[in-house]
Amino acid sequence: MTTDVLVAVFAVAVVGLIVGFLVLETYNAVVALALRIDKAWANIDVALKQRHDMLPALVSAVRGVMQFEQDVLTDVARARAAYSPTEPIPTQAAVSEATSSAIRSLFAVVEQYPELKSQRNVLDLQDEIERIESVIADRRELYNDQVYRHNTRIAQVPALFLAPIFRWQARDFFEARPEEHARPDTELRST
Amino acid sequence: MTIVDGSDAPQVAVFAGGGLVAGLVLLVRGFSGYRMAIRISDTSTSRIASIAAGEVRVTGIVEPAEVLLVSSLQSVPCVYFRAAIRESRADDGDDAVLAEEHAVGFRIRDESGELRIFPRRARWDVPLRFDDRSSALDGEPAGLRPRTGSLHTLADPDRETQVAQLLGLDRASGGAPFTSGLGGTLPGVGLFHGTGSRQRRYSEARVEPGDTITVIGRALPFGDLSDPTEADLDDGEVLGADDPEVAASIAHARAAGTLLDDPDEAWGNAAIPGFGIGRPTRAPELDPAARPLDLAAASEAERFERTFDIAPEQLVLASAADARLLVAFGTPEAAAGRNETTFLIGLLGAVLAIGSAIALAFVVAAGIQA
Repeated sequence: MTTDVLVAVFAVAVVGLIVGFLVLETYNAVVALALRIDKAWANIDVALKQRHDMLPALVSAVRGVMQFEQDVLTDVARARAAYSPTEPIPTQAAVSEATSSAIRSLFAVVEQYPELKSQRNVLDLQDEIERIESVIADRRELYNDQVYRHNTRIAQVPALFLAPIFRWQARDFFEARPEEHARPDTELRST
Repeated sequence: MTIVDGSDAPQVAVFAGGGLVAGLVLLVRGFSGYRMAIRISDTSTSRIASIAAGEVRVTGIVEPAEVLLVSSLQSVPCVYFRAAIRESRADDGDDAVLAEEHAVGFRIRDESGELRIFPRRARWDVPLRFDDRSSALDGEPAGLRPRTGSLHTLADPDRETQVAQLLGLDRASGGAPFTSGLGGTLPGVGLFHGTGSRQRRYSEARVEPGDTITVIGRALPFGDLSDPTEADLDDGEVLGADDPEVAASIAHARAAGTLLDDPDEAWGNAAIPGFGIGRPTRAPELDPAARPLDLAAASEAERFERTFDIAPEQLVLASAADARLLVAFGTPEAAAGRNETTFLIGLLGAVLAIGSAIALAFVVAAGIQA
């Protein structure tokens, strides 16, 4: 084998090493991104479940005093009943937004009842639900950022060439679609 | 056409061989940089207040915890440093005179809260802050201020220590006021100064309180750390609870019922926050003849509890068996950009390696023909 051939083999080997490395790292990176999205979603789901579990306690704590605010309480109950972890993510986002909106309305009304504001358990529940709302907002931001990174990665070279082979697809953001905004699925269900 | 003159062939062969090796080394470093850039840029930043257990990326300002390190070459208080002194040899090579790397636990703060970092087994991506050479004409570099006292200093020294530091008593007395009781190395002043005409290169990388850093690691409850004391230090030589021999000893002690889970039971008064510095947060059990200790004031007690008494369920950041902690200097964008540059230099290294291989081939071919 001549030295020319040896040099050619070496050059091809180095280029092949670089290409192989990029393919391997890109594959691993996209898989890791997908897993981070799943984890970020699981963390949102935990917070949504916590909020879902706390709402009945809040409603029962204020129901006795807020006899004339049944609409607000019904909105909260409807939004809570619409929670379904098996629905597609945009649907869950719409339900979550509707729940947050109903909770904000409830808290605004609670402000008008001094006897409620002086009750320790109501204040504690309010603080805890506000904390969970804040956690949901932060984790939603984190989830959407992770989805953005995933979707950007698979739309760029070199992952763009690998996407059809490994069937990588863009993931849904945690946000309601326009049609979900118009008609959130907040039918009362027995849960 | 003669490309390589016969008399130049040995020199060309040496340069080509060197270029080949250097190019491949740069390529391997570039691969490492690419991996790190991907890890940094593909992870989203979590807000500390809403952090969840698992792998996370946080960005914020470094705050000290209990103790700080004093860097070797510039005596700067820091939470991490990597210092090296290399001395040139007559044959164009160099010798390592000093190579130190230490880290100590610290906190990172963003706009939402703070998080404790346990740096054991961490990987540090920190650029040099001091990089200078000695010379026969100018002597030692102007910025060289070798450490003369203890490796550790208190992060929040009391008044007497601050006065001693201001008056420079620590240097005159060999560092006694700075001594934290945790030990440390004292390399010796002579080690830092060059001899004769041999040129020295001094380099030091540091992470100081107030720096912006990016940390990627596993958020886990403090109670899940296998050995919090060991995890708080990274001196590269400490055996942790994951060492097979240490783990076997712990298992043996647990089986024999001599391993205590309660710090109060195991350490007595020493488990009381602030006891070690003479300001306990609650009354210790002392011998009647012993001098009673003043209890810490409410504000002090709150600070001591926060510093020394971490709740078992509190989330902290540390290395995991399957994921080493990564601490990178600067914002995520800056850290990723730095590593992408390393990758691009690695690609240039590949070009250098191929070019060197071609040159080497010409030399070999010329040798065969001759």
